[in-house]
Amino acid sequence: MVLEMKIEKELIMKISKIFNRILPVGAMAIIAVACTDLETEELDSIVVESTGGGFTAGDPAALLEAMYTSDIAAFTDQNNMYALYTHTSDEMIPPTRGVDWGDNGVWRTLHAHTWDATHATVLNTWNTLNQRVFKASQIIASNPTAQQRAEAKFLRAFHMWNVLDLYGVVPFREVDEGVDVDPRVMTRSEALAFVLDDLESSLDDLPSIGPNLNDAEIQGDNIYASKAAAHALLSRIYLNKGVYEADNPAGPYTFSAADMNKVIEHADAVADEGYSLDSDYFNIYTGTSNAEVIWASGSGTAQNRWFMTLHYSQNPSGWNGFTTLAEFYDKFDSNDPRISNGGPGTTGYTYDADDFGDSYSGLGKGFLIGQQYNDDGSQTVDSRTTLPLSFTRDVPLSGAPTGSGIRALKYHPADAGRYILLRYGEVLMNKAEAILRGGTGSTSALDIVNDIRTSRGGATLASIDETGMLDERGREMYWEGTRRLDLIRFGQFNVEWHEKTNTDPTRVLFPIPSQALSSNPNLIQNDGY
Amino acid sequence: MKKYLLLGLSLILGASLWAQEKKISGKVTDAETGEAVPGANVIVKGTTNGTITDFDGKYELSVGSDATLIYSFVGYAPKEVVVGNQSVINVGLDLSVEELAEVVVIGYGEVEKGDATGSIASVKAEDFNGGVIASPEQLIQGKAAGVQITNNGGEPGSGVSIRIRGTSSVRSGNNPLFVVDGVPLAGDDVSGGGENFGLGSQSAKNPLNFLNPADIASIDILKDASATAIYGSRGANGVVIITTKNGKGASQLDYSYSLGVSSITKKYDLLGASEFLSAYEDFNDAAAAATINGGTETDWQDEIFRTAISQTHQLSFGGSDPRGDNYRMSLSYSDQEGIVDQNNMKRITARFNNSKSFINNRLTVTSSMTIASVTDNHVPITDNAGFEGDLLGNILKANPTQPVKNADGTYNQLSSTEPNPRAMLDLSKDFTNTIRGLGSFSAAFKILDALSFKSVYGIDRSFSGRKTVYSGDLLTPGTQPGGVKAGRGFTSDIEVNNTLWENYFTYNQKLGNTKVNAVVGYSYQKFDRSSKVFEMTNFRTTDLDLMLNNMASVNIAGNPNSVVVRNSSKVIDELQSYFTRVNFDISDKYVLTATVRADGSTKFGSGNKYGVFPSFGAKWRVSEEAFAPSMFSDLSLRAGWGITGNQEIPHNVYQQRQRYSDYDLDNNGNVSGGGLGDVAFQNPDLQWEETSQFSVGVEYGFLDNRLRGSVDFYNKVTTDLLIQVTSAQPAINPFVWQNLDADVVNTGWEFQLEYDLISTSDLKWTFSGNIAFNHNEVQNFDGQLNTAEINGQGLTGAYAQRIADGQPLFAYFLREFGGFDENGISVYPNGDFQEFTGDSPLPTTTLGITNTLKYKSFDMSFFFNGMFGHSIYSNTANAFFTAGSLANGRNVTKDVVGNGESNLNAPDVSTRFLEKADFLRLQNVSLGYNIDVSGISWIGSLRVFATGQNLFVITDYSGQDPEVNTNKPTTLSSFSSIPSFGIDYTPYPRARTFTFGVNISL
Repeated sequence: MVLEMKIEKELIMKISKIFNRILPVGAMAIIAVACTDLETEELDSIVVESTGGGFTAGDPAALLEAMYTSDIAAFTDQNNMYALYTHTSDEMIPPTRGVDWGDNGVWRTLHAHTWDATHATVLNTWNTLNQRVFKASQIIASNPTAQQRAEAKFLRAFHMWNVLDLYGVVPFREVDEGVDVDPRVMTRSEALAFVLDDLESSLDDLPSIGPNLNDAEIQGDNIYASKAAAHALLSRIYLNKGVYEADNPAGPYTFSAADMNKVIEHADAVADEGYSLDSDYFNIYTGTSNAEVIWASGSGTAQNRWFMTLHYSQNPSGWNGFTTLAEFYDKFDSNDPRISNGGPGTTGYTYDADDFGDSYSGLGKGFLIGQQYNDDGSQTVDSRTTLPLSFTRDVPLSGAPTGSGIRALKYHPADAGRYILLRYGEVLMNKAEAILRGGTGSTSALDIVNDIRTSRGGATLASIDETGMLDERGREMYWEGTRRLDLIRFGQFNVEWHEKTNTDPTRVLFPIPSQALSSNPNLIQNDGY
Repeated sequence: MKKYLLLGLSLILGASLWAQEKKISGKVTDAETGEAVPGANVIVKGTTNGTITDFDGKYELSVGSDATLIYSFVGYAPKEVVVGNQSVINVGLDLSVEELAEVVVIGYGEVEKGDATGSIASVKAEDFNGGVIASPEQLIQGKAAGVQITNNGGEPGSGVSIRIRGTSSVRSGNNPLFVVDGVPLAGDDVSGGGENFGLGSQSAKNPLNFLNPADIASIDILKDASATAIYGSRGANGVVIITTKNGKGASQLDYSYSLGVSSITKKYDLLGASEFLSAYEDFNDAAAAATINGGTETDWQDEIFRTAISQTHQLSFGGSDPRGDNYRMSLSYSDQEGIVDQNNMKRITARFNNSKSFINNRLTVTSSMTIASVTDNHVPITDNAGFEGDLLGNILKANPTQPVKNADGTYNQLSSTEPNPRAMLDLSKDFTNTIRGLGSFSAAFKILDALSFKSVYGIDRSFSGRKTVYSGDLLTPGTQPGGVKAGRGFTSDIEVNNTLWENYFTYNQKLGNTKVNAVVGYSYQKFDRSSKVFEMTNFRTTDLDLMLNNMASVNIAGNPNSVVVRNSSKVIDELQSYFTRVNFDISDKYVLTATVRADGSTKFGSGNKYGVFPSFGAKWRVSEEAFAPSMFSDLSLRAGWGITGNQEIPHNVYQQRQRYSDYDLDNNGNVSGGGLGDVAFQNPDLQWEETSQFSVGVEYGFLDNRLRGSVDFYNKVTTDLLIQVTSAQPAINPFVWQNLDADVVNTGWEFQLEYDLISTSDLKWTFSGNIAFNHNEVQNFDGQLNTAEINGQGLTGAYAQRIADGQPLFAYFLREFGGFDENGISVYPNGDFQEFTGDSPLPTTTLGITNTLKYKSFDMSFFFNGMFGHSIYSNTANAFFTAGSLANGRNVTKDVVGNGESNLNAPDVSTRFLEKADFLRLQNVSLGYNIDVSGISWIGSLRVFATGQNLFVITDYSGQDPEVNTNKPTTLSSFSSIPSFGIDYTPYPRARTFTFGVNISL
């Protein structure tokens, strides 16, 4: 042992001697050959200097215009926001038809309430909405005029309300925060307060825009934020405030009289801006003048609303996708004017050769059921099965035959107007429900509901209760994307219907997309995911 | 310098003055067998005077009478003989009993195997796999424990996935670092992938195809961190060191020729014409069936698959002198045909290796150069064809009642979505020419006996051009937009110019009973890569040669979009490193190694440019201890720990950069793109991905080392995973590169065993086997990444694998399939959602078994390899073998008929298409016979041999072959994706090959 230690000592001495001699030389040689500072040289791209921190103001007018005339089109799509609000409810189903519409189950899971945090639609919707919130904040920080600020606040509130409604929390990034800052996260009630403040503080500076009663313009100025639009949105949000403030997102909910009175107050304010009901229900969705459209999409068209449901053998050739459920369809009386306009292929249609000839004349409005017709009056034939095309009541979620499922057409390819985001019919229904829930109004809930029904040419109801109110809202606003809100508010979202057997109450909120969770540690996943 | 020169001169002169005194002759033989040992060194001790034995082991030498001769040859123990008054000295050399004296290459040097503290598998040329070999990886497939080598497909020269001790990265870039003759290669492809307009894209070929397998002397695989840390930031996936052959012994010329015959191992069991029609009629009706009936019977597989012939010529000559100066030149030509008609790979290589010493052996100059020309003739078999299918998809789905050609001799082409496979081949041309040169030039100078300095300059240069044309006569998506026979063309060039300069000192000293070996050095490497791509359409001709070679046949006047620049690129990255390694061997009992490498890379921002990668290894050679039981001829314990890195990410993704995006010429002839867009965003914190590895091992030998082997355990943890993440809104950037806060853990055991079952002079039988077990798991990851994109009708957005916490990488994430209900619709008992099924594409067990037999002049070896515990997802079956596909008039395999599925059923991604992929393959059987040529003076040796490759596979997998890995990533951006593993999507089918050859040495 001693010997070994001695040897080791000698060895170390000898090594250190050698290294003392070699190292300086070696180090010099090595330092001399350190021939690069490792700076990257860009030969095929441009380096953009620092985006972190700081904020450069843009042109608020141009930025606002871009939001109205480009970004808002996201709401006209059949996917994303629209899909989350409709397929998860009992008014619509996206069946898989043979090898079509499988798409890895993204559609079916929405109906079955079995989506998860990696669902593509859940992610894309989150990204779209939050990006719009950030864009609106950038406008607000770009030295806008008072009206521009108010408009940007309205747009921010609209998008942020969608986020808080769908996901329960809202991430928020200040415009001058760099990439190294993780966005802070607002709770649902914090976000609600933020949204209400944005809307209420913008009311004074928003312009008054009345209904477009000029045939020449398709909804004219109604593509911009207005006092009426803010009031309409506020009526919707106050109606749901009890949901957003509940300890458990799945309820029970309490709706305070004060909030209900706010709903009524804002609904009345919309009327004060000149809006009223249209006597022709399907006229609302056309480009001709009407007094119901408060806010419509300034870009995109309503075409996806017919493509998503029409059969590929119809004109226009659709994607043969979404249909309604027989149970939902059965909520209508056959004489309800909202169920159809009596056109070809709709409920109870009897053939009349005079109905045909024009482009798209083979399509009626409302629910399409039974035999379908071509523009020349001939029966439509399914090009794949070579059988007459007849829409059936039954529609399985998987393995659906090509003709299964009742379709609905509110926007018609022959005369569709802009895609509607807010309309007066809903505002009045909000008021009626608020009164039913204890708000103080000058008329009763039943009177308002009957007023809406008769104004469309329909029959009155003898009475109305909560169930009746939920059904009536469904009949008035089917396929407009409010059904999910209604089912949750009435506690009917977590029951079984059709092939949805999942009654998990946590489904009232969508999960925070897993990608968002991993990129922002401030986010906490919602219960149940 | 002058002093040494004079000293050297005087020594040489002196030696020649003394040399006249006496002539000695004799023969050197193997002491055991009595066979001549040609090429043995005979040197006068203390001088450089010497010679080499001839083919008969004979030598002649003039020496002084007081001289002592040293006889030596590789593999034998050297012998010293005092000349005295002898004039004929015959010497019998004994085989070197010291098996441990085998050297292994460890990066910046080599050590005796006994002194290696790391886990290193060394495979020598004589143990390489034989037969038709396209790339060096195939030489060692199954030969080393814990090294999983998967041929991604059956095409000659197709990509190869190598996983050493498991898979540890969530990006592409899981392949190990390859070092060829001291030059670490870039991990990128050197040739372009394929664009098959509307038929999906192809992965690039294996970049190592330029190496001639016959030039390789040994392949050393560094597996653990204590071995790989010397390669620092590039060592995390292991390091494969390829050493090429040098001339050895007397000058010798070798020529070999081999002829290979390949054919498909297993065809798909498709419906015949009448079966197809009746099955179609069952879903539709007789009238519909009549409309699709082409009235004949075509076996589309027979139309395309062929018996392929491969030929290889190999010529080399070289030798060395007693001082070690050596040279070797080789030339090779090989033409490997694929079993798909028109597909082949031709390769011509030339290599020149030499080494010469000067100044009394103090200065050694070495060069090692190769240049290769590789031509690939491609066929449109792709990774991600959609609804239309690629060539293979169309072979599978083509209507078997349709004729190949119409009565008028034109191709029978029904529609662009149902292309005619034969027309796809005959009406297109697609080839790549790649020229690649790799050279390393070094000078080593012995400053002191124990200290030397070496400078290495390396260059790796390649130019690859791919040209593709699809005639307007061909009907596929994109060739006839709007019914116009526009045709399509595509050219893609990739140029690579990588250079290396390394300088290091090596210190080698024995002090008492302690040996010290130390290396300290600097390395600079520059990676320069550029590319350009053009697309063409609106050709005025349908003649393929004219389209290729007279590109002005595009009609620019008629349509300015006839030629579209897709894009060009050029990136330069640099790596600058300082490294040191110290190895102590105390009393041949205790060996300690410490390594540190500091790597600086242009791929990271100013704060994180440098990464430091340390490692430590220790070995205790128990068998050298007095107390060690004598039954052990060797017993050593090893332990090592270290950190290595990974920087295989695109160029500069830490700054915000913008580029004009690629123009895209779509299938309708429309052009989009070209806008200035962001390609990267700021992340100054981006840093190295790190892998820390702990490993312990035992090396053992019993019965005089007749039974020998090793056992290893390792635990590998990869952290700070580099990946491009889509920023979650509200964000400033849509995406950014990040270090993911997650761990990938690989834990495993490796067992290696060799046993000389019989070892007599006439008969030798050696068994060697290896088996490795690996457990792979993602830990501490709170995100989820989907990958393995599944293609086919109604499969938009479909994927089959998910990376998530607690699961192995690429874990299958599928619906649980429970058969069909009474309506023929899929039943998912657990619900219609994807979930982890507990299956993984990563094998848990890999196995290699080799038996080598030698009887007199005969030798034989057979080699099995196997992988177990993993599953393959058949995207092929998912896309093509369903009732819905049959009902649409596409052919299917026979098992689809009557399986209870409705034509209305959606074939969702589910366990229906997942299969266990365990397999055991008789990979290689070689037979050789050395013909006795002792009567012919001018022939050194003559050998004939035959090899069978892929003779059979035992597996339950129903696809063409269970060893498959179609590239099915989730694309994040134009240069970022999450890879997949183990997906079968219309891969190039695998062949069985018989090779016959002859080898002659002069």
